[in-house]
Amino acid sequence: MAGSTTKTVYDIFQSMEYGPTSSSRTTAQAWLEHQSGALGLFIDGRFVQPAGRQTCSVTDSSGSSLCTIVCAADEDVSLSVSSGASGFKAWNALDCHVRAKILLKLVSGVQRHGQCLSELCDLAQSPCPPSALVRLLQYYSGWAQLRDSLLPDWTPHGVVAVVVSDDCSLYSLMLKVIPALAMGNAAVVIPGVGTALPALLLAQLFVEAGLPAGVLNVLTCKVLSLAPKVAQNPHISYVTYSGNKKNGEMLCRATAGLGVPISLSVSVGATCPFIIFESADMDSAVDGVIETAFKKKKECQWILCVQESVLDNVVARLKVRMAGMKSVPLLAEGDRGLVDAAVQEAQQQGATLIQPCAPPPFGTSYPPTVLCGVAPSCSCVVTPNPGPLLPLLSFRSHGEGVTLGNHSPHGQAASLWTEDITLALEAAKSLAVGCVWVNSHSVLDPALPLSGHKESGNCTDGGKEGLFQFLQPSSSPSLPRSSPSSLDYAKFGTAASSAIIPLGSDSSSYPHCYLQYVGGKQCKSESGSSVSVLAPGGAVLAYCPDGGRKDVRNAVEAAIKVQPSWMKKTPPERAQSLFSLANALELKRLDMATSIQSQTGLSLEKANEEVELSISQLCDWAARCDKERGGAPSLPLSGSALSIPEALGVVGVVLPDSSPLLSMVSLLAVAVAMGNAVVMVPSPKYPLPALEFIQVLQTSDLPGGVVSIITGGRDQLTQALANHSVIKAIWYWGNMEGCQYLQHTCSSPLKNLWLHCQEEVTDGGGAWSQLPLSLLEEMWRQAVQWKSIWIPTA
Amino acid sequence: MSARNPGMPLDLEWVSKVRVNTQAVLKRAQQVQGRNKNKKQWQAAWLLRAVTCIDLTTLAGDDTPGNVHRLCMKAGRPIRSDLLQSMEMHDKGVTTAAVCVYPSRVADAVKFLKAANSSLPVASVATGFPAGQTPLKTRLEEVRLAVEDGAMEIDIVINRTLALTGQWQAMYDEIRQFRDACGDAHMKSILAIGELGTYTNVYKASLVAMMAGSDFIKTSTGKESVNATYPVAIVMVRAIRDYFLRTGHKVGFKPAGGIRTAKESLVWLTLMKEELGDEWLSAHLFRLGASSLLADIERQIYHYVTGHYAAYHDMPMA
Repeated sequence: MAGSTTKTVYDIFQSMEYGPTSSSRTTAQAWLEHQSGALGLFIDGRFVQPAGRQTCSVTDSSGSSLCTIVCAADEDVSLSVSSGASGFKAWNALDCHVRAKILLKLVSGVQRHGQCLSELCDLAQSPCPPSALVRLLQYYSGWAQLRDSLLPDWTPHGVVAVVVSDDCSLYSLMLKVIPALAMGNAAVVIPGVGTALPALLLAQLFVEAGLPAGVLNVLTCKVLSLAPKVAQNPHISYVTYSGNKKNGEMLCRATAGLGVPISLSVSVGATCPFIIFESADMDSAVDGVIETAFKKKKECQWILCVQESVLDNVVARLKVRMAGMKSVPLLAEGDRGLVDAAVQEAQQQGATLIQPCAPPPFGTSYPPTVLCGVAPSCSCVVTPNPGPLLPLLSFRSHGEGVTLGNHSPHGQAASLWTEDITLALEAAKSLAVGCVWVNSHSVLDPALPLSGHKESGNCTDGGKEGLFQFLQPSSSPSLPRSSPSSLDYAKFGTAASSAIIPLGSDSSSYPHCYLQYVGGKQCKSESGSSVSVLAPGGAVLAYCPDGGRKDVRNAVEAAIKVQPSWMKKTPPERAQSLFSLANALELKRLDMATSIQSQTGLSLEKANEEVELSISQLCDWAARCDKERGGAPSLPLSGSALSIPEALGVVGVVLPDSSPLLSMVSLLAVAVAMGNAVVMVPSPKYPLPALEFIQVLQTSDLPGGVVSIITGGRDQLTQALANHSVIKAIWYWGNMEGCQYLQHTCSSPLKNLWLHCQEEVTDGGGAWSQLPLSLLEEMWRQAVQWKSIWIPTA
Repeated sequence: MSARNPGMPLDLEWVSKVRVNTQAVLKRAQQVQGRNKNKKQWQAAWLLRAVTCIDLTTLAGDDTPGNVHRLCMKAGRPIRSDLLQSMEMHDKGVTTAAVCVYPSRVADAVKFLKAANSSLPVASVATGFPAGQTPLKTRLEEVRLAVEDGAMEIDIVINRTLALTGQWQAMYDEIRQFRDACGDAHMKSILAIGELGTYTNVYKASLVAMMAGSDFIKTSTGKESVNATYPVAIVMVRAIRDYFLRTGHKVGFKPAGGIRTAKESLVWLTLMKEELGDEWLSAHLFRLGASSLLADIERQIYHYVTGHYAAYHDMPMA
């Protein structure tokens, strides 16, 4: 507190300045000293300090060292994962209410050590109020209590790896760890530098609260090299990641082909629109901007979008409110250069600045700066930049405001300000983001699901919706564990197809040439060539088109033309279309059964049964159209929350060999019922029922383009689907190599993957004829992404 | 002191466009309350500044020349001089901003202050305080008489009937007439926010009162069930900011009613600093209407200087 002695009462009486704020760090330091300034790894319920490990030091904002943490080595990884495996056995064997009780008991631990926790978070520059953790624990202890009664037929994965990047906040980390534990999983946590200290303290508190040893292990240092090693361990059943995009991508690539599912929440570094409509409470909106846009450590880059009619109004208020603001310290050394460059570029493109003072000529701080009148093409809008910079764009109409907000690869969250409830709800529905805050911003609560759209993630955290990340249907087989093959990703699916030019020596028995189905029309493949389809006996049964990437392109083009209006149809309308499809199938039942029989060699009776089941699946999903809805979660705040399932967009489906008609119809029905368009690739072994089904599609009133069917080489078409950015999800039945390719490729642009390795499936197709409830639930949850809307009231 | 707010023609379009989001205002108020963590000399200095903004008030049926005399004397020496001396503030003219009394006591207060050689202004409530439910003619006459008796500031109450029924033109006209009756005396308009129903109405009434030429807008009479609250203050100072941005005229703000502790006075100062800036931290644009607040501030100053907690009888009585 230098200078505090020099200021007299009279000085301050005249200047009316604020006194210095001293942030205490005494309790945190006491804890660190108790650990001798060297934190070990947390394995099997205690701190361990294995000999001969590298350490790295954790520093505070001024760069001075706080303590050291251990860099976990391979032995530590296997030790902690096997400890996790035995911890899982003990933990999952407990009664639900015992697990719930332990989570609740941790609440008092967190409250007791709240000061220490928040000081540790402050030291690591990722603030997290203990009250937020308390709320997380209370919320998920409720779900722990109710798991078996409300979620029967679901089981935990086992040992889950939770990985976060260095810049991820403690809240985002615990938003994964606590539900994982609540559902009965054990967790191996790999925190980043910013969360290592509080995560270690929490692990200790968890054990004090009665968590069995091994259920929560913490491995520190070098996230990116550690995480793949952990994922490689066969005891790990699931990997989940939160943090920045770059590290997430690297993690996906490093774990591709291990046979372990991985999902990402890109919780750091998104650009998020902050939209102020002319009907807003302007002062409150500007207060919101001031509060959130110029933070030292920002999790997202806000883009301020203001309706033109109130632009001057907002700018004038910003100027007044920013006048007294102090410069904000930059996080990294090199940031100053980046900030200067970004500001300069914006100015060259005509932007004007609002700043409380001129930036200091050098140094590592920068005044809060609004870049007024930048164009959406300016790089400060396109890519998030460090420092307290806020681009300001204007829009003319409500529609344009939403378009402006949506025009970004990110889809994490948006804040919109209007007193007009109709406009608020319309805009909230049209914004392609996972979380919309009306007349508020950055409201985080575990009851409010966070589900990044577009590049912002492929899983849901929080809410009931987020629990399914840590559960699997009891009956579903998981991916077989394997070691990645040395796949040449550049060459996957590029092998020349075995296209045949049909040679008809005997014209009477000349096999039928099928067409594929793109945009509601039957057509040949772009390549013009065909492949032969063999009967079970080995004879050539028919020829089907040899589709490729251009066919996929055409199908996606057709799909994006109709999908938005298909999604906007009311669920009852979609239900009617599916019923009409079921009727059409009923009329063609004989043709379909014959096609199944000749293709698979099943008896006509069995084939008929498959057709009947397909009809009932269609009717089932038609009926479910308006039943599977979201809800209105309760928050410990005054207001209304909505959690809405939305269509993903265009889904690519690479179909399984088993039950070729039933599996296709089931997957088509669920995807289309939820408002998606599908591009389907029938099994190359049994494509005929799907091609025959085109007749059925044509007679139904499903809009053309909602369903496309493309035949050809599985790898070739998988490659084509994986490399189309519009496709948001791929459901894949195929071999391990295909899974590995998709995991590797679909990290950028990010897709939701639902992978199945059918080499392992030896059920003879029975699985599709009696889907258990949990699998049906999983199917529709795969077909949607969640959006939460928060409307606070007084 | 800067120029007075001359007012402007009533702009009903502006008034009709007002939108206030209640929950956002409540949230902002909470933030402001958590903002000030001043300690030591910062706290002492801020408290002294609060003293200079107090309209030391007595508005009771049993007011007599005797207690008004005590009030005037306390207003001139609000903090024990030995305490001020130890902070080297004894010669910096720390007095309250004004004394505030009923119209019938104005003459007494003016006389006592003059006798004590004090230039402190006397403020008078007027216009049928607190309800305002008397004929316009008598309300106007009340203002003129108070000014004649030597009041330099007049705290008028607005006609809530007109505000609640949306008769902004009529309300504007009334306040305009009060302003004319005030002459050179500064006019503070009491909105009686506890009786206006919604924050939107508070914002609109604030705008109309400023357009009609108020020098200050004031939250309440102290006689309603809801008095000066932080959220309502946020709404009113935003209206002041809005008016300033449009017209360039600075209007003052006076919370009154229920302000009793030193801590509250610090929150009020923080609120003004955060919302309007440092210029609104002095008596010409900010007043605290209070009677018992001063005693608590004096005790806190005593604690800062001596390190002891004072009993009320350690401080001279008001």
